[in-house]
Amino acid sequence: MAALELLGGGFLAAFEFWAFMTILTGLLVGVVAGALPGISFVNAMAMALPFTYVMQPTQSMLFLGGIYVGGVFGGSISAIMINVPGTPASLPATWDGYPMTKRGEVKRALAIAVTASATGGLVSALMLAFLSAPFASFALKFSQPEFFAATLLGLVSVIAIAKDQPIITLVSLVLGIAIGTVGVDPLYGQARFSFGVPEMESGIRFVVVMIGLFAIGEVVDLLATNRDLRPKKTDGKPVGATFRDFLNVKGAILRGTGIGCLIGMIPGAGATPGAVIAYGIEKQVSKRGDEFGTGVEEGLAAPEAAKNATTGAAMIPLLTLGIPGSAATAIMLAAMMLHGVNPGPLLFIMDPTMVYTIFAAMILANVMMIGAGIGVAQMFSTLMRTPPAILAAFIIVLSVVGAYGVRNNIFDVYVCLAFGVVGWGMKRVGFPSAPLVLGVILGPLAERYFLTSMANSKQDWTVFFTRPISATILALSLMFVLWSLAPGIKSLFARARRASRP
Amino acid sequence: MTSAQKKRVTARRELSGGVAPSGLAALVPLLVPGGLLVLGLVLPSFMFQGDQTASRIGLGPAFWPGTMLAALSVLSAVWIGYEIWALRRAGRRSLMTAPREDGPYDMGKALIGLCGIIGYGWLLPILGFAIATSLFIALWCWFGGLRKPLVVLPVTLIGTIALLWLFMGLALMPLPRGSGVFDGFSIWLLRITGIY
Repeated sequence: MAALELLGGGFLAAFEFWAFMTILTGLLVGVVAGALPGISFVNAMAMALPFTYVMQPTQSMLFLGGIYVGGVFGGSISAIMINVPGTPASLPATWDGYPMTKRGEVKRALAIAVTASATGGLVSALMLAFLSAPFASFALKFSQPEFFAATLLGLVSVIAIAKDQPIITLVSLVLGIAIGTVGVDPLYGQARFSFGVPEMESGIRFVVVMIGLFAIGEVVDLLATNRDLRPKKTDGKPVGATFRDFLNVKGAILRGTGIGCLIGMIPGAGATPGAVIAYGIEKQVSKRGDEFGTGVEEGLAAPEAAKNATTGAAMIPLLTLGIPGSAATAIMLAAMMLHGVNPGPLLFIMDPTMVYTIFAAMILANVMMIGAGIGVAQMFSTLMRTPPAILAAFIIVLSVVGAYGVRNNIFDVYVCLAFGVVGWGMKRVGFPSAPLVLGVILGPLAERYFLTSMANSKQDWTVFFTRPISATILALSLMFVLWSLAPGIKSLFARARRASRP
Repeated sequence: MTSAQKKRVTARRELSGGVAPSGLAALVPLLVPGGLLVLGLVLPSFMFQGDQTASRIGLGPAFWPGTMLAALSVLSAVWIGYEIWALRRAGRRSLMTAPREDGPYDMGKALIGLCGIIGYGWLLPILGFAIATSLFIALWCWFGGLRKPLVVLPVTLIGTIALLWLFMGLALMPLPRGSGVFDGFSIWLLRITGIY
């Protein structure tokens, strides 16, 4: 009851004119920054940090919270429209969102994505408001072995996206993880695979690989096929989404939200594993699982709901324990500390008004995101009406600037272009690039968690199996692999049985 | 050609959309895993620069990449095994299947486009962002079939200035200004547009 009263007070504070405008501005900044490949919302939050000096502590959190919520969704706009994920977590949106765009259903895809994202975010924000304490104590049980197990679950979920070629998917994934090992290692400080190039010692950034693999190949294909991406009416169906569309994906949204909330509260896991795992599970659960990758609504809705469901959940360890679980929440922690606010259990006693205003703002931001997301998506979809030649030229320029902006270094542009050529070649021969990107994103995390777990346990391998949560997640990973491979194994046995018949 | 060989060729032709892959294209399903297998076997010797050796404390920095490269080699070998098996049997499909395009795919245009993009990246530090970008946008539009100067020129100029404002003006990104005379031109342009 006290929580409800405090939340009511939080809503009153969040609805004050300046507070409301702050959330709205943050939301719009986040959606636009997320939608621009390479200019991620985390960069936008970092750039916005100095502006928060002049704000009140609560107002600064509302601003950064708005960018966070909007940015996590914004990445899907470019993923759906031009097949270039604005953020790593938007990678699954390219698998079923972009095929919908190719069919002329860009507005429908965007409407489904924004609704799923807002629902996931809203549920997660409500969970943040009412269930922070029990979830925080659960999150506290996570240590390096659990982080490794969770990352591994994210990595193996890629097998689920393989249609009937787990070997080739695994090759692509392992290649991605190997690319992720370039540069100084996380524990010993020794540079690997630098080949005498100083820039290589800093490693290959996943954003650069992602932009190269997705953007350049897509633009070249756009040029070579004269493909028309303009929204079009098909079979008398409306261009946008209908209420029935949302009803059809409600199960996917709910499952995605549940997975996102669970993954999000694990410090260090973040939105990317959440979205990929949700996609993998949805592929197995959905009746149209075999059609995933061709523009299936559930395949778009589940990861969208999951990635935004991680936003509220990721705030739980930050606000209750003072542990930032991601780069975005680390910036929020920095903003709080700059204002002399120390997050943790004491904050709930010392300044409950602030805490509940943040909760209310997160809820409000997710509701407002439907409007802001549709508005920005509408603006971006108008761009789709421009001739493909102009669109393609600007995609390349934005991609190159995005790669350059990662470290303000021309070397990253060269790496991006090299991956662009490789990505185009991979596409032409049918070698999957999505597992490779996932390997580059999650590989370094897996390596860091694995090595630190081993070092902390004096190189005892059993540490991953003796800790209950880690062992459970690893068992889940194994079950997930078997579940994904079951249809293939079944057909293999059936084929062998047929062959053995006289 | 024996009847078994004919059957194999027909099956492969059906699987590849009616056109039997020939020459190098037919070998791609073997060349890709073969190349990856070689990479997995050779790269461990190039892990550290010069006379550096891996730290011997704990698992060491070579453990994770070494394991991944070993896994890459094993999986590539399995893949090659499958491809050889697929090659020998009629009706077996290669693990890699090229995407089916809705319309014709102009390979020449694609290769010129790729060269154009690489050229843009190469010219960026030499000509600077403003000149390289405006040249790239204009040429790409022309090559993409947009030949009206009254469209191409404003798109190029307004687009480049807008990008300069967005990235160098608002986001304060130090985009390349070019070298020599191009650096001077970029500074002049940035002053004229009010960014500097």
